[in-house]
Amino acid sequence: MTLTDMQLQGRCQRFLEAQPHMRKLGLKVVSACPGVVVIELPVQAELFSCDVNTYLHGGVLTTMVDHASSAATLCAVEDYELCPTLDLRIDHMSRPAQDKPLFVEAECYRVTRKVLFTRATVYQLTTEQPIAYAISTFMRPDPGATDPAFKAIIEGDD
Amino acid sequence: MSPVLNQLVSQAHADGEYQPLIDLIPYASIIGVECQRYGEEIVFRLPANPDNIGNPILPALHGGVIASFMELTAVFQLMLQLNTPVLPKIVDFSVDYMRAGLDKDTFATCEVQRQGRRVSNCSVIAWQDRKRQPIASARAHFLMD
Repeated sequence: MTLTDMQLQGRCQRFLEAQPHMRKLGLKVVSACPGVVVIELPVQAELFSCDVNTYLHGGVLTTMVDHASSAATLCAVEDYELCPTLDLRIDHMSRPAQDKPLFVEAECYRVTRKVLFTRATVYQLTTEQPIAYAISTFMRPDPGATDPAFKAIIEGDD
Repeated sequence: MSPVLNQLVSQAHADGEYQPLIDLIPYASIIGVECQRYGEEIVFRLPANPDNIGNPILPALHGGVIASFMELTAVFQLMLQLNTPVLPKIVDFSVDYMRAGLDKDTFATCEVQRQGRRVSNCSVIAWQDRKRQPIASARAHFLMD
């Protein structure tokens, strides 16, 4: 990996901004380094319901994890490739507190010719106290199959 | 058991209007989940929505949105078929993506494989053009107490 952490963070930031649903949720890139990224979901009043305790429906976590894992794959390969998710499994271990931001640390721990493997931890205080844990796999596209215009957007001028 | 939930479920069954129940979960309203009952079968619908896009090039739905829609489908299916409704608590969720979800309406149904006293096991299928060509399938466990 010849890219610096700053360059990887820039790619993750542009990747996030390119996705309308990520802008809608207000996700932020906290940090990035080779193979690993941390994403934050700030406290969001609009995800809170007063009637029953439905704060942060599991789906919000799934969306965050899917995005963070995808961003981790982006930090694990030199040239940007648009890798679709093949599968994702998430285990929910505790309920998040509604007055604290939520973080996902995702790691792409294995890169093969066709498939990328990731794991992710959702937490509020530390990764030692996980809210959820997830593993997923991503399919690598054939060389040159990623849209050049989108590749240029993500890679920016780094 | 929550009295609000109980009342919303009875009301939804009585007048076939499920939106107030769906709106209980803010993320369901944000992505725009709808539902329609046909006899005993309930079909959930996620109308095309520019805010749900994850891949602006295709364009395609965000994978997380598809997964969440499927999880919500299971949550509402369970809530609607219980005699005393509770809000099911997700334990684990696993999704396989089979086709890109394009920028159009998506549908989902949930089959409750086993409804236990404490745990429910569900499988969910999501499709766009035809049910026989699903875009994703998922399974999930929920705690019911």
